[in-house]
Amino acid sequence: MATEDRHEHSHHEHAHHEHGVEGPGYATPQAAIEESTPEKLAYVAALYTGTDVDASDFVAVVDVDPQSETYQEIVDRIEMPTRGDELHHFGWNACSSSCHVEGLERQYLVIPGNRSSRIHVVDTTDRRHPELVKVIEPEEIHEQDLSGPHTVHCAPDGEIMISMLGNADGELPGGFLVLDDDFEIDGRWDAPGEIEFNYDFWYQPRRDVMVSSEWAAPATYQPGFDLEDVEAGKYGHSLHFWNWGDRTVEQTIDLGEEGMIPLEVRFMHNPEVAHGYVNAALSSNIFHFWKKDGEYHAEKVIDFEGRDLEGWDMPVPALPTDILLSMDDRYLFGANWLHGEVWMYDVSDPANPRESDSISIGGYFGEIQAVQDRELISGPQMLQLSLDGKRLYWTTSLYSTWDDQFFPEEGQKGSVMLKADVDPRRGTMTLDEEFLVDFGDLPDGPARAHEIRWPDGDCTSDVWQ
Amino acid sequence: MSGSEATTREVTLTWQDGRRETVRATEAQTILEAAEARAVGLPFGCRTGACATCTGRVADGRVSHDREPRALKPRHLESGYVLCCIARPRTDCRIEVGADVRTAMVSNPWK
Repeated sequence: MATEDRHEHSHHEHAHHEHGVEGPGYATPQAAIEESTPEKLAYVAALYTGTDVDASDFVAVVDVDPQSETYQEIVDRIEMPTRGDELHHFGWNACSSSCHVEGLERQYLVIPGNRSSRIHVVDTTDRRHPELVKVIEPEEIHEQDLSGPHTVHCAPDGEIMISMLGNADGELPGGFLVLDDDFEIDGRWDAPGEIEFNYDFWYQPRRDVMVSSEWAAPATYQPGFDLEDVEAGKYGHSLHFWNWGDRTVEQTIDLGEEGMIPLEVRFMHNPEVAHGYVNAALSSNIFHFWKKDGEYHAEKVIDFEGRDLEGWDMPVPALPTDILLSMDDRYLFGANWLHGEVWMYDVSDPANPRESDSISIGGYFGEIQAVQDRELISGPQMLQLSLDGKRLYWTTSLYSTWDDQFFPEEGQKGSVMLKADVDPRRGTMTLDEEFLVDFGDLPDGPARAHEIRWPDGDCTSDVWQ
Repeated sequence: MSGSEATTREVTLTWQDGRRETVRATEAQTILEAAEARAVGLPFGCRTGACATCTGRVADGRVSHDREPRALKPRHLESGYVLCCIARPRTDCRIEVGADVRTAMVSNPWK
């Protein structure tokens, strides 16, 4: 569909939405803030892959409703049919970008196994007890010469797009896989070889742009982090700006030495805005990217210094492995996994982030090393923020093999899910010491926990058309 | 099953905690498949040789990979590491298995 057509559609249908046509999600980011109710359940990717626990990975349904009798408990586990997936990131069949599509609902979670290349579809009609309804086996993915599924976004027309980090052999190039609205493989989104490295992506349809970032080939990052691979150029350091309609890369920005391993790309939620951020995890810098005079630009705006630690040959990098933007685009939150810090920056002036607050917790340097006597073992990692911007949650596992290198106890004792209360007016956050979900205490054994999603969409799932 | 017995290999799997299991692998089976056939759970991930989740280490005997073990570097191969998902025993052999084996293969690069 041509871009102009799509714009016309969106304006037309949004007008209907205001008159009561029910599509998924919210008409605007501000509507998400106003109309959403506090999250009562969280879906959390949890895994046993890479341990000796002889059980499948699962999605944990966590009760986060303080009024509930089972508050802070894992009330259900949706177990995957096969072991060895490494559940990691996952997403919805529909989000606010399809707000104009009548009949489409935010109902299905699309949950890839990053190691197995198996893709699962879970029906969340019963929110508390979702049900696995479909599995796409790795062989079907390999037929597209793809592997290593990562980020899942729904496209505005009901299709689902998944970034794939490798080819069928787990080597380069990666690409993008498209599923149709029946969760059948539709094919590749991009022409093979348009990019080499892939990782995360975000699209801004009104700007006709998609941006993708770079980790490494599955065969490089999956066995674990090896500096030799960095020196050999096997880790990425560029951002790709795609023409969303044409599916071609229009511009690549090499972030250089200071932009090694750019991971999560977060466009601002306001669909009119062409500003976003990416965390260069290995270089421990945050880059701002924006469009000006028809071109995209990227500039380092936050630089986390390494810190000396006895027993280490070099300063410990902060390793900011996740970032997210609040729904009102006012704050950028992030987690420095190795240092043990959760931070929030005021980005009301996007080019000049201003530190608002931080919590020093977990990791190698965190001041808080236990919550309710539960030793934290690892650093803060995957973040999720409530739609109203008042509650920030996080888990502590990055990736099974990387956990084993930097926080070896994480696999043996399991992850935790923690929470801070945020005051978005004052720009402050406070650890909620009463909140603790312990993934170490489960029937099959301690599990790692990774991405968190809310049933009604969240700050890292929803895009507006 | 005397016909297949001639071509099976005895594979002894050992864990760091002292556990030990012996399984027989036919020529059609990788080490991982032979273990699964006896309901012995070994770690695995991609099952194509890319991710190293199933890494074991040959303590005794000889194995060969069906295809290039992309997850292993030359130094790993020299140290006897194998990918159980794509490795077949060529003789009776003893393989160290379990998550500890892979964990030991890759350490913190900055320490």
